[in-house]
Formats: sequence, C-alpha cells, structure tokens
Amino acid sequence: MMAGERSPASCYLDERTFRLCCRLFLQHSETIQDGWSWEQIKGTDEGFMKKTVLLPVKSSVLHKQHGCFMQAENMDLLTDDIQANVEDETAGVQAVCEIHAVLRYEYHVLYSCSYQIPVLYFRASTLDGNPLSLEEVWSNVHPNYRQRLQQGPWDTLTQQEHPLLGQPFFMLHPCRTEEFMKPALDLAQAENKRVNYIVSWLSVVGPVVGLDVPLSYCTEVSAPD
Amino acid sequence: MADDKDVLRDVWFGRIPACFTLSPEETTEREAEPYYLLLPRVSYLTLVTDKVKKHFLKVMKAEDVEEMWFEYEGTPLKWHYPIGVLFDLHASNTALPWSVSVHFKSFPEHDLLHCTSNSVIEAHFMSSIKEADALKHKSQVINDMQKKDHKQLWMGLQNDKFDQFWAMNRKLMEYPTEEGGFRYIPFRIYQTTSDRPFIQKLFRPVSAEGHALTLGDLLKELCPASICAEDEPKRFQVMVHGIEPLLETPVQWLSEHLSHPDNFLHISVIPAPSD
Repeated sequence: MMAGERSPASCYLDERTFRLCCRLFLQHSETIQDGWSWEQIKGTDEGFMKKTVLLPVKSSVLHKQHGCFMQAENMDLLTDDIQANVEDETAGVQAVCEIHAVLRYEYHVLYSCSYQIPVLYFRASTLDGNPLSLEEVWSNVHPNYRQRLQQGPWDTLTQQEHPLLGQPFFMLHPCRTEEFMKPALDLAQAENKRVNYIVSWLSVVGPVVGLDVPLSYCTEVSAPD
Repeated sequence: MADDKDVLRDVWFGRIPACFTLSPEETTEREAEPYYLLLPRVSYLTLVTDKVKKHFLKVMKAEDVEEMWFEYEGTPLKWHYPIGVLFDLHASNTALPWSVSVHFKSFPEHDLLHCTSNSVIEAHFMSSIKEADALKHKSQVINDMQKKDHKQLWMGLQNDKFDQFWAMNRKLMEYPTEEGGFRYIPFRIYQTTSDRPFIQKLFRPVSAEGHALTLGDLLKELCPASICAEDEPKRFQVMVHGIEPLLETPVQWLSEHLSHPDNFLHISVIPAPSD
C-alpha cells in the first residue's frame, strides 16, 4: 500500500501484530543483551515478553519507606546491606556514601484481547523473595509521575491476577493507552515513519515503574511488514 | 413458559449455605464456634463476610490478627472471583453447607490479591464491567454513563438491590437488533485441571453465515476437551450458576441472562462425578 493511502493510525493492535512486534523487539534485545525473553505457556499458543531487573533503591527512598519496610522481616537484611556498605565505604570517602538496597522487579508484557492493546504487568520483591506491597511500589514510582497517577490511584496502578499465570501482579491500567499512543502514532504517520508499537508504547509506560527502554530500540527496531 | 426476565432474578438471588470455621493454625484465647451464612452467588467473599470477621475476632488477640483470607480444602479462595464461581469450580457435588476455613495470618501472597477495603472490590468490579463493555460495545455504553451511573451498578451489588442494579445494567445488555448480539461475548472458562487461571478469547455470538452460535460451539472452539462424543462417558460438567445449561443454548442468550453482575459469563469446567 502507498504511504499516502494509509488509513488513520489505529491505537489498536491485533494479536498477530503484537507477536510480530514482540519478535522484532526480542531480536534487538538479543543483540544488545538486555535480558528480554519470550515465555510460552505450556500446552497453549499464548505467551508474554519478560524481563527481570535488579533495581537499586537509594537510601533516601528507603528511609522514607522505613515505616512500610519495618513490618517485613527483610528490614534486617536491608539494614545489613546498608551496614556493610557503610563499612566498605568508610575506608574511602567519608561524608558521602551512596547507600543502596536492591529490589527485584519482574516485568511482563501481555496482550489484552479485550482492549486489543499491550498491557504491562510487574511484580517487585526484595532479594529474599518478600513481595512489595502496592504502597511500597507506589513509593518507588518516580515523583514526576506519582502526583499525576495518584489522582486516581485505583484506576492506574492496581494489584491484579496475571491472566496467564494466575498470580498477583501489579498492572498499569490500559485505559489511558489511547491517550498517549494516538499522538505518537499520528506523528509517526505524518512523518511517514513506521514505528514498532511495542517500542513506542513501552518507552512511555516503562519508565513510570522503573523500566528503561534503551534509545537503540527506537532507532534499530522496525515495525513488522 | 416463564418470562426470561425471571431468570435474572433467579440468578441474582442464588444463595449458597456456607459454614465458616477458624483454621486450626490460628491462635485463639478460647474455642471458636463455626459461623453459618447464606452467601449470594453473585457477590464477593470479602464483601459479605464482615460478620464472619467480627465473629472470630471475639476469640482472638488483636496481635494475632492480620488480613483475613479464606481457604477450601487447601486451596486459597480468590475473593476476586464471584462466590458462585468459586463454589462451582471447587465444591460442586460436595455436601452442603460449603465448609470454608478462615485465616488471619500467613496471607498467601503468591496466590491471592490483597483486599484491604471495599474500595478494592469496587475497583475490581468496575474494571471487569469496563472490560466486558470493551468487548460488547467498544466501551461506548460504559463511557456514555456518568460517574453516578457507575456508582449505581456498584451500590446495587453491594447492597443486594436487584432493581437498582438492573435499572442501569440493562443498558449494558443492549445491542443493535440487526447485529443479532454483542460485538464479542465477555466470558471466561475456568478449569481446575489447568495451571492457567482461565481461558478468555474473542468470540462472536453470531457466525459469519449469520446463525446464532451456541455454548457447544464456544466450548468446541476454545475448550474441546470439555465436550465428548455421544457414545463416550461424560468426563466433564460445564457449570454456570450451579446448573449445566444445554450445549444448544445460544451464547448471546447466556451472556444476557446468566452473566454475573460484572457482565462476564463465568463457565466452570469440572470433572464429572464418577458414580
């Protein structure tokens, strides 16, 4: 089809295109070794894209969360880490010590056939496997996003059952997807560029919950034919 | 023949007698008596068990009490599935009352969603209705409603007000006559024999040739193991609201009459009793 004859950009994505976009995304991930993989559900034709990252939490964030963390036994572990860090670093710089606790974030990109768009699910835990609560996850959301999202906290970030695994995950609600995808897709179309839906979408929603999408995805990953 | 509208009432007022007992793992100051309750099939466990909680808190020390959760024969019960679905899926063909264990500690983080207030249930319920309308009407009906209309749906369920709920819900059940049904049927098929929580796909109520598709057609396409040839012994029961609808029933009729208030048709496929 000629570029000029294209129909208006659609925010919707059919399941087949979702798969193709993911495949191209994963090919690039393999090249730059940033850890994305495809997880197939046994005995079905369904699956999702997955990535696990370890996120350092700055001591300032941790202190703010102290109250939340106290209830969990993992406080001891985190404190130990901090102690160890402090001891290590006292040898060098004295005044400033960058103290980090580490959290494990697991991100899943799924296809929603109801909304015909991709949806980001994730869960977070401490290194010894204690899951973070919704409140704790909220406090890790970048302050720039937090205020806007929190105007309707139950609408944007909620705990939901993972539709393929049946386990509790957090989900960024897809109802706003059209709001930001439409301008992005319209712009790309006006400039006659073919963008990979998953790349554009994930670059917007990922950073909200600590997931970075390297710039090379935008330049190197094409849209499916 | 009774009016089809009567079916809506029968579905809404379906009840399951349940006996709640405190799990032996809980620490109590004195012995806890069981608590008996009639549970509305279309509601949610955490929405209708305030009395159960109060009853057991009387025999417990405050420091032994964390978030309440329920279990049946070793399976943690997902509060975010309607009560009738939990019963059909896990306890069909067992003796009544349904015996549910109550826990106040060791919350199973890897199995259950937290439910710390009714606003969590409301959010879950409304998000199901929205998803269903995305399938049925591309979200047009739910988006045309006002906030107070959404509230009316929720309050109707929360306060068990059939008329209040249906005055609004009937709008979600409308469709253009010439199309013969919704765009897609909102449904979920649950199986105890599967690791997957449920099957949910796009399924239209009318075939490309224009004839009404049935429950049998739906199962044949998405869960073929659940139906068997006529000469075979029946291996599975297909349950909706505790009954086995005929496989010839059009899915559009089922969606309009046997959906839960969340607007999804919840279908449980369970092993047939071996007697």
